[in-house]
Amino acid sequence: MEIRRGIAVSPGVAIGPALVLDTEGVVISRRTILASQVETEIDHLADALFRAAEEARRREQLLTEQIGREIGILQGHATLYEDVGLRRDVEAMIRTQHYSAEYALSRHVRNIIHRFDNLPANHEFLRLRADFLDLERQVLNQLLGIAEDSTIPFAGEPVIVLAHDLTPSETAQLDPKTVHAFATESGGPTSHTAIMAGALEIPAIVGLGRFLGDVASGDIVIVDGGQGVLILDPDPATIEIYTAKRLAESSESGLRYEPLRDVPSVTRDGVRISLLGNIEFPSEAVHCLERGADGVGLYRTEFLYVNKSTDPTEQEHFDAYKAVLTAVGPSRPVVIRTLDIGADKFSSVSGLLTGEKNPFLGLRSVRLCLKNLPLFKTQLRAILRASVYGDVRVMFPMVSTMMELRQCKSLLAEVREDLDEQSIPFKSSIPVGTMIEVPSAAILADVLAKEVDFFSIGTNDLVQYTLAADRNNENVAGLYNAADPAVLRLIQMVCVAAKHQDIDVNVCGEMSGELMFTPLLVGLGLRQMSATPRKIPDIKRAVRNLTVADAERIAREAVRMETAREVTTYLREQQRRILPDAAD
Amino acid sequence: MATTGPIRRTVVIVDPAGLHIRPAVAFAKNAGKCRSAITVWNGEKRADGKSAQDLILLFAMPGTEVVVEIDGDDAHTAIDPLLAILATPGYED
Repeated sequence: MEIRRGIAVSPGVAIGPALVLDTEGVVISRRTILASQVETEIDHLADALFRAAEEARRREQLLTEQIGREIGILQGHATLYEDVGLRRDVEAMIRTQHYSAEYALSRHVRNIIHRFDNLPANHEFLRLRADFLDLERQVLNQLLGIAEDSTIPFAGEPVIVLAHDLTPSETAQLDPKTVHAFATESGGPTSHTAIMAGALEIPAIVGLGRFLGDVASGDIVIVDGGQGVLILDPDPATIEIYTAKRLAESSESGLRYEPLRDVPSVTRDGVRISLLGNIEFPSEAVHCLERGADGVGLYRTEFLYVNKSTDPTEQEHFDAYKAVLTAVGPSRPVVIRTLDIGADKFSSVSGLLTGEKNPFLGLRSVRLCLKNLPLFKTQLRAILRASVYGDVRVMFPMVSTMMELRQCKSLLAEVREDLDEQSIPFKSSIPVGTMIEVPSAAILADVLAKEVDFFSIGTNDLVQYTLAADRNNENVAGLYNAADPAVLRLIQMVCVAAKHQDIDVNVCGEMSGELMFTPLLVGLGLRQMSATPRKIPDIKRAVRNLTVADAERIAREAVRMETAREVTTYLREQQRRILPDAAD
Repeated sequence: MATTGPIRRTVVIVDPAGLHIRPAVAFAKNAGKCRSAITVWNGEKRADGKSAQDLILLFAMPGTEVVVEIDGDDAHTAIDPLLAILATPGYED
């Protein structure tokens, strides 16, 4: 048995026979042509580039249909095949050196790869190296008349693909039904191949270093995409461990706990805990229902703004909201969060400042909206207009003072008046909430509670701002911990304030998806949780194994503790007691 | 309008991923519509502004200053939209 560690890029466990691909590709030998053949050869090249671009566009479209959203990577490749610089360089080699089109193209790409190889390790652009290798391979396939889909042979049975490298085009062709995972020797965490694997939800590890010499097609291998572990020639005990882990994980896709979909989310002593889904794209609304969610607890709206050169129109907002409300039905809540964006995200939202020294403490989220009223009002108008299609609720992110909350509410009132004047239908009283994700809002929760219908605690930002630690900064990521007693106390304050004013309170950060925290959150008084849809069956199972009395005892103990480590150890212990067979 | 030689402007790459495929493609596409010759420099490295391949191979990281040089009769109208592409994070057509 041999264990290799690489870079985890797409989670999930897979066990099965390996399919080792020779993706080093065809080796092109030096071939020259006669001077009289130059023009024909150049036509040949133009033809192949044209077909490669067509093919890339076709694959992009297939992929978009398959996963329901556009990735755009292959579309970018299509444009590269038509690039004037590429044509200029390869044509020059054909004309001056009399190389064949294949050899000229191959030489040209080798020159480019050589330039990438001279970059320092860790250089941001290294991730594009594979895109140029992809370009070479796709154009050569066209030049040599190699059938388009023959690069990934399929035995028909499920396999784990092992390769030196997979190009983005090759990854896009992997069918999750037959390719249960893949692992490659090279590649990095932000490569286009990694992004593609995540989108297709295929467990994947890249950057493992040399291992292909130690494995043959047909050998049983294990990929743990979440941990970045590849196990070659596993022993029976290891296979057993990972089989169990895979079964536990399949619950996350809703399979194992499918029967739980229609059972209510209640504790053993009969207290209802409402479980809602967090979504980003309209297409995900249905994922919530499939997993038995009671509604959508967080509908992020940034997708409407990101990677666009203009701000979205009211109609674009409206269509996106109506789609979700229609999918979810009239009786389930859909909580729409207004624009939550800052200079750390890819966007060209108007008013967004670039080059802020400290974007996380800068003009972001509701602060940005309040500085750019047309942008904000457009969104609020669309939310109100969509309200006739279901149970819409609106919430404002990153509110840090009472003034901000009041400004948001008065803008909402203004928009209502406008709609009234124009006789545009909307629901007159949709619930209005605020997110609690800045410590100041948590501390002031008792007064904020008088102004809103509900709170939603955004734990990711609350943890970051409370501990003043960016979890993506490896030097301080250790400080970032949702189990820190300081965080627990703030959550407790918010729950107490909500209870006092008798308003709903929800947790919609990643904390709600971690089963370790379920008893604690119920014990602190949460009766709603919102998490990524695939976590919902697991949370429901945890809820159904709890009693509120037990949960309250756990919360009391945890809040009294002094360090995150103590809290974590304690909560894990409790979790093992409550859910003895849970995987994490 | 009489041409008065090439226009040269300096611009800082702001996209968090640098001058990668997407902005390079957008720049080249827009540059391709101009009659003027367009050259982009990152220090000594030079790219035909109409070629995404060349632009990517400038390996221009976020924060890099690049020089855009436009030479031709539509240079004055072409320059600003092109600079805007490099000065917009996450630019898309």
